[in-house]
Amino acid sequence: MTLDALNLMPILPEIILLVLACSILLIDVFMRAGSRDVTYWLTQVSLVVIFVAVLSGMSMDQRLSFEGSVINDGLSDVMKLAMILMTSMAFALSRSYLKDRDIHKGEYYILGLFGLLGMMIMVSAYSLLLIYLGLELMSLAMYAMVAIHRDDIRSSEAAMKYFVLGALASGLLLYGMSLLYGITGSLDIAVIRQAVLGGEIPKIALLLAMLFMLTGLVFKLGAAPFHMWLPDVYDGAPTAVTLYISAAPKIAALAILMRLFGDGLIGILADWQMLMIVFAVASLFIGNVVAIAQTSFKRMLAYSTVSHVGFILLGVLAGTADGFSAALFYVLSYGLMSLGGFGIITYLASRGIEADQLDDLKGLNDRSPWMAFILLILMFSMAGIPFTLGFWAKLAVLQAVVEIDLVWLAIYAVVMSVIGAFYYLRVLKMAYFDKPLITGMPVRSLDMRWVLNGTGIAILILGLFPAGLVALCAQVF
Amino acid sequence: METIYLWIALAPLIGSIIAGLFGRQIGRVGAQSATITGVAISFVLALYAFKVHVLDGGEVFNGTVYTWLASDLFTFNIGFLIDNLTAVMMVIVTSVSLMVHIYTIGYMAHDEELWPETSRARAGGYQRFFSYISLFTFSMLMLVMSNNFLQLFFGWEAVGLVSYLLIGFYMNRESAIYANLKAFIVNRVGDFGFLLGIAAILVYTGSMDYHEVFKQASQLAGIQVELIPGIEWSLISVICILLFIGAMGKSAQIPLHVWLPDSMEGPTPISALIHAATMVTAGIFMVARMSPMYELSEAALSFIMLIGAITAFSMGLLGIVANDIKRVVAFSTLSQLGYMTVALGASAYSAAIFHLMTHAFFKALLFLAAGSVIIAMHHEQDIRKMGGLRKFMPITFWTSMIGALALIGFPGFSGFFSKDAIIESVHASSLPGADFAYWLVLLGVFVTAFYTFRMIFLVFFGKERMDKHTREHLHESPWVVTVPLVLLSIPAVMIGWVAIEPMLFGDLFKDIIVVKPSHDVLAQVGSHFHGAWSFVLHGLMSPAVWLAAAGVLLAWLTTMQFPVVAQQAEQRFSWLSRLLKNGFGFDAFNTIVFEKGSLGLGRGLWKWSDLKLIDGFMVNGTAQSVGRLADVSRLMQTGFMYHYAFVMIFSVLAIMTWVLFF
Amino acid sequence: MSFIKLLFLVFASSAVLSAFMMVTTRNTVYAALYLVLTFFSTALTWLLLEAEFLSIVLILVYVGAVMVLFLFVVMMLDVNTAATREGFVRFLPLGAGVAIIMMLEMSLVLGPKLFGLDVYPAPVPKAADYSNTEAIGSVLYTVYVYPFEIAAVILLVAMVAAIMLTLRRRPETKYQDAAAQAKVRREDRVRMVKMESETRVADIAKQGDGA
Repeated sequence: MTLDALNLMPILPEIILLVLACSILLIDVFMRAGSRDVTYWLTQVSLVVIFVAVLSGMSMDQRLSFEGSVINDGLSDVMKLAMILMTSMAFALSRSYLKDRDIHKGEYYILGLFGLLGMMIMVSAYSLLLIYLGLELMSLAMYAMVAIHRDDIRSSEAAMKYFVLGALASGLLLYGMSLLYGITGSLDIAVIRQAVLGGEIPKIALLLAMLFMLTGLVFKLGAAPFHMWLPDVYDGAPTAVTLYISAAPKIAALAILMRLFGDGLIGILADWQMLMIVFAVASLFIGNVVAIAQTSFKRMLAYSTVSHVGFILLGVLAGTADGFSAALFYVLSYGLMSLGGFGIITYLASRGIEADQLDDLKGLNDRSPWMAFILLILMFSMAGIPFTLGFWAKLAVLQAVVEIDLVWLAIYAVVMSVIGAFYYLRVLKMAYFDKPLITGMPVRSLDMRWVLNGTGIAILILGLFPAGLVALCAQVF
Repeated sequence: METIYLWIALAPLIGSIIAGLFGRQIGRVGAQSATITGVAISFVLALYAFKVHVLDGGEVFNGTVYTWLASDLFTFNIGFLIDNLTAVMMVIVTSVSLMVHIYTIGYMAHDEELWPETSRARAGGYQRFFSYISLFTFSMLMLVMSNNFLQLFFGWEAVGLVSYLLIGFYMNRESAIYANLKAFIVNRVGDFGFLLGIAAILVYTGSMDYHEVFKQASQLAGIQVELIPGIEWSLISVICILLFIGAMGKSAQIPLHVWLPDSMEGPTPISALIHAATMVTAGIFMVARMSPMYELSEAALSFIMLIGAITAFSMGLLGIVANDIKRVVAFSTLSQLGYMTVALGASAYSAAIFHLMTHAFFKALLFLAAGSVIIAMHHEQDIRKMGGLRKFMPITFWTSMIGALALIGFPGFSGFFSKDAIIESVHASSLPGADFAYWLVLLGVFVTAFYTFRMIFLVFFGKERMDKHTREHLHESPWVVTVPLVLLSIPAVMIGWVAIEPMLFGDLFKDIIVVKPSHDVLAQVGSHFHGAWSFVLHGLMSPAVWLAAAGVLLAWLTTMQFPVVAQQAEQRFSWLSRLLKNGFGFDAFNTIVFEKGSLGLGRGLWKWSDLKLIDGFMVNGTAQSVGRLADVSRLMQTGFMYHYAFVMIFSVLAIMTWVLFF
Repeated sequence: MSFIKLLFLVFASSAVLSAFMMVTTRNTVYAALYLVLTFFSTALTWLLLEAEFLSIVLILVYVGAVMVLFLFVVMMLDVNTAATREGFVRFLPLGAGVAIIMMLEMSLVLGPKLFGLDVYPAPVPKAADYSNTEAIGSVLYTVYVYPFEIAAVILLVAMVAAIMLTLRRRPETKYQDAAAQAKVRREDRVRMVKMESETRVADIAKQGDGA
């Protein structure tokens, strides 16, 4: 390829994002400390701009560029739109929280934008090199964000754990990738796919490569037994950062899981399926059972994330188009629910009150019936009560699992959800039937209120009318 | 057209949401304008749809509006099937609903007086009421416009829910709460059958769509199922009877009728709208809609006819001894629903729909008139304490007369045409039990005339038996009350003349209502039909009219001329009177057998199975072991990074060993 | 051929050995120096693979710049080495066990049976005038321009993160601003306050009586 033939259009949104992020970085440096709101609004505007950029180029066709190392298709476009939206929502829900803790720094938004850039690179990546670089860009931004409250010992500890364990996982992933490169001779997933399907390469080396890559990736997703960082990081990080890292990055991680395994290594489906079953079973167990013993709402949500990741893996391990679209549907609904859940914490938290313990939610109905109602929708949806968004997501995943004749796995997942329903409903019991320990509600900015209300209403409406989103998720595969 | 249909259904919903959620902000006038506008839009559009389909013979619309859920096995759609039957139903529903909406302004004007001062529900009751009746209109429209069983079930349950809410509208009254629970629970029994029927259809046909199911109906007729080992049933009969059990609940047929008299606890406008004109006829509509299936099962048809005939006659008898004005009208509703059911059983579906339509108008009229009387009487409902109201309330009196004449089937009034058609149809039917049904419905005419005019005479004629204070304040109701009365009395008189020919003998319902040639009783009736006028003349010579006249005469004698006779008769046949006053003991039976029985069963299960087995062993046992497990698992989360790293590395090693060597 | 093999064995064992020493040594300065040796040995093995450019860049960047910086930091910090070694012996058997098993398993898979020269033949040596640097340069800015740019962004993020985590503004620190001192005006420093004169307690009492 010569430079003349270089077509930058496929990565236009990424380029725009990079340019805007660098501009905001510069503007932020020259702003006075008290005017971080300008950075915030500039960030939101940039997100709107790249949203439009992605939307205008959206198409369900598969378009390869950069010698086949970049892929744009329905999956990448839908995921990018969702990630941009969720990042924007996370920012809106975080601002007041950061202000109350005197960590309202421009870097939060700037690192967030760079992290988003990494995620967008990940979902469009079709070569091992890009996958890895995107992943590292995203991770690096997130490590730094977790440490943003550097005077808080918990925040620093969480960042340290995240960084070291994340580096370990990256090492595993990279080692697997290098093995894969060694035995297939290519970094491109399309070539790898052909090589694996051809069956010429030694199976056992392929298995070793697959094993290392899979463990590295499920670490990023937070599946058991590689989940141990997740509760500590989610709990230790400032809630504003937890909001950010809990939603969009999961989508990006799912994307590379689907590209790498669902596409590149589809030839050895049976082998990675087996491993994913182990991870999914372990995640569902750990996520649902350990969550019961938590007294912190934030930590409980972190464990519930582990169980949701288990469900996402169930969708992926089916290895069918139905399974992938179910996993996509699940991750999108999970992202919304997670934003809502952590968003409630940032909403209720005020200066000096962290509001992340279960006790802080007691009597929420007396303090604000509307907020309690949003909590109700969220908890019902996370528990998968029929006719909520979470129910359809779980149903789709289970259907995909049943279709590949793993009925026992579906039954196991249902049993675990039932156990999980206990701790979701306990939250509601506290919110509706207990006496409040705190009175009054913090006054919140308009954008924050709109985003949180919108999240709740969106989950409600999508639960009643899921067909559109389901169809979209089915269309991209 | 699709947009128009969508608006017909959605306009009342929007009105309802506005009045329900923002009632406090927009106040009374805002709420009533919003809902009335919504229903009015719906009514006008329904008229337009009526013109397009019925008058201009437009194409049948059958389309999906929204795919709610799609899976590999089933697809659940929300869709509309708009044909002549639907168009007629839409006009009935929206027009009666519109009248009721307007009437409500007057009826509920002093609503807050009926609430205790301290009640939190007192404020906003007016707006809430409007929101409910608009929501009802939406639900009913969804029910009649549906093109599939799922949406039918949605509408079915939604109207049930609104009915529940409205019966218990005065939630501070014990009796209202009792009545709405009763209505809900009795309907559950019916719905259980209904749901089983739908499930059977889904299982055997794999579709919820009407047309798809009807196409496969003849195949279903060939299938035999064994519900009880050893006894074979025809599948289509099982499905039809199960569906009809749902209709029995909703349309209050014996023995699931017990909720309807009690439902009169609700405010009168909803008695007119829900418990007379529309919701209770949902069962009739459903069976008529499913005629391609019912035609295949003579067993189901016979069953329907018998149930209907017994309801028609026995519920009329109960009307004789009732003294609450609304209960009298309610019993007449039960009885008339029985007539419609009989018509269904006789395969005269068109006659049932025809009677449904005429009944909707004249019964709504009678209810609203009764409501007008109740307002004037300061919420006194006992007819023995009324009398002579004719002079004070001329409009109410004359419209009531029209309603009553239509109800008893006075020649020329709308009820005459429909009821006579039903009686003739049953006469012509050759299904098992048709003769028995014929005699019951014929006697029913006499009973109907008797109790109807007993009520008219007691209320409007004779001595003024009310207390002095009430008497001084007697006056005609305001125009928002009387205008709907007048408007409703027009179709109560006229509609029979216009509609009989196209509906019963024309091809208005061609291809919509399917009747086997061997069952086609209306064709036999129609062979003697030479226009509405000759039908009236012919009717004058039929026994039904003379029986009705006899009933009126008897009513006049016992109430006006010789009230003593009535009293003596009551004393002599006190066992009969008690039997009737207790509604044949259905309530007592239910109380003893079902209420006490299920309470006892529940207690027993609670003590033995729930407390000991489930709570003690399974639930708490599971919860405890899960809790212990959680505590143990939590210990693994030490917080030390090198532990985490070690677990990771060790897991990789374990997995590697597994993958590579096993 | 055998000489190159000998060289490889020397460099490789030196790399492994120095890496091991780097982890186990008690003195942090020594540890950093062992790491330098590891890099150096690695660079030499790369040289054997004809990857001259990478090899030199590794020495220049990592040994020359990064590690020197590292040495500075290590020497400036007073790290309690005894504390970090605590538990080392306790976990040694377990850790060593896992490591050895893992190594054995991996060597079984990655041994010469699957990756020997008969399976993957050695690449043909390039001609003497072949420029490794030019080859890398010609693809780095064309085919791999996108990954290359992303790598640059990663470095930028690392920089932003490092600055964010270490840059501290200390509001309590006092310093002189000569320009501000020179520009000062009278109004900024002196404030005229008008006050009521003191009232004696006795006067207040008298006023109270009068009222």
